[in-house]
Amino acid sequence: QAYPLSALSKKQPTVLVICGPDQNGSIGLVCARHLRIFDYEPTVYHPKRSSHSLHQDFTIQCEKMDIPFLSYLPTEVQLINDAYNLVIDAMLGLEADSSNIKEPYSGILVTLKQIKIPIVSVDVPSGWDAEEPSQDGINPEVLISLIAPKKCALNFSGKHFLAGRFLPYDIQKKYELNLPDYAGTDCLLEL
Amino acid sequence: VSHSQTRQCEIRAKRKYINKGDAAAIETELLRDYKFGQQQLIELWGQACALAITKAYPLSALSKKQPTVLVICGPDQNGSIGLVCARHLRIFDYEPTVYHPKRSSHSLHQDFTIQCEKMDIPFLSYLPTEVQLINDAYNLVIDAMLGLEADSSNIKEPYSGILVTLKQIKIPIVSVDVPSGWDAEEPSQDGINPEVLISLMAPKKCALNFSGKHFLAGRFLPYDIQKKYELNLPDYAGTDCLLEL
Repeated sequence: QAYPLSALSKKQPTVLVICGPDQNGSIGLVCARHLRIFDYEPTVYHPKRSSHSLHQDFTIQCEKMDIPFLSYLPTEVQLINDAYNLVIDAMLGLEADSSNIKEPYSGILVTLKQIKIPIVSVDVPSGWDAEEPSQDGINPEVLISLIAPKKCALNFSGKHFLAGRFLPYDIQKKYELNLPDYAGTDCLLEL
Repeated sequence: VSHSQTRQCEIRAKRKYINKGDAAAIETELLRDYKFGQQQLIELWGQACALAITKAYPLSALSKKQPTVLVICGPDQNGSIGLVCARHLRIFDYEPTVYHPKRSSHSLHQDFTIQCEKMDIPFLSYLPTEVQLINDAYNLVIDAMLGLEADSSNIKEPYSGILVTLKQIKIPIVSVDVPSGWDAEEPSQDGINPEVLISLMAPKKCALNFSGKHFLAGRFLPYDIQKKYELNLPDYAGTDCLLEL
């Protein structure tokens, strides 16, 4: 929705998906697989593979869809700007400790702060504290919040989507989420 | 027979209608080689079924005051898909009621059941034999009883009884993958007569001349499998996860 095929600037509909080792990364892998089905050309950079079996399954599903996996991320930012239309940041989710980001993610974040193409972050922009807007972190154009928006997204100025229509009513009530209504049969909405 | 009708027949003839063996082989490959999870597949199919139902029977087009839908679930995978479908219909503001006569002991099936119960979806303890009660209470019936694994020549209770009832109801039936009671490879002569069929992955041989609305669900099917089994599936539009054949 945010970047329809027809609106992409490069000749090929290339997308770089950077996946972390935990659930956020797994979500990135599934996202990549669906993007492939939607005729985008995702490439996955997956520096640290989790030993978790579900994560490995999602990785194999991607590999079997002929999605290329990079063995390293170029540090030369212009190479990334030239090769891809956008970057999906599916590295660090809520479980990450933003005050203590280790390699390789700290290095990747340095690169991401310099790229010119748009970043789409899954749930929490990697490197941000989940409860505070970031001062000097990466600057995504699009944020896709899962289930409910997080405190750090309070004044997010980019395009902000919410995913998680399946959330049972009882949970919504219990946590007083006050989520907006989804339209028709959409499974996401724009906040 | 006009030229365009002949052309339609040719196009349809190129499409592969698969048999039980191929369907089972494809699913085995998805699980074993492609590492899809059973829960994952059932969720994807169930969601697509719900979307098909919203297309075939939009809320605004339902005739009754309440958007009620009866979902009859069998004990196996077809039933699990029905449960997921019911849950998504609930989210889409339909009012599904599940009739689930024989609950599987399979833990995944039980999980899907609990997911429905926690969405306040009512579960019937018995199905009325009086057909008019069903006609009056619901807009349509989702048949998610017996799938490909069933032996159509040997249908036991309670499903044989339910099928008798379904042959008499006046409201539309939507069948998941294979109309319950049909042989998967032969069109049925005297089986239930669904208005809508939602084929999973690829249409089955029994659907060759299906005259109702026919949807295909299963956009996630990897290209290599499509090629290997020569499925010749049509293209899905946009980001749709189902299409109408």
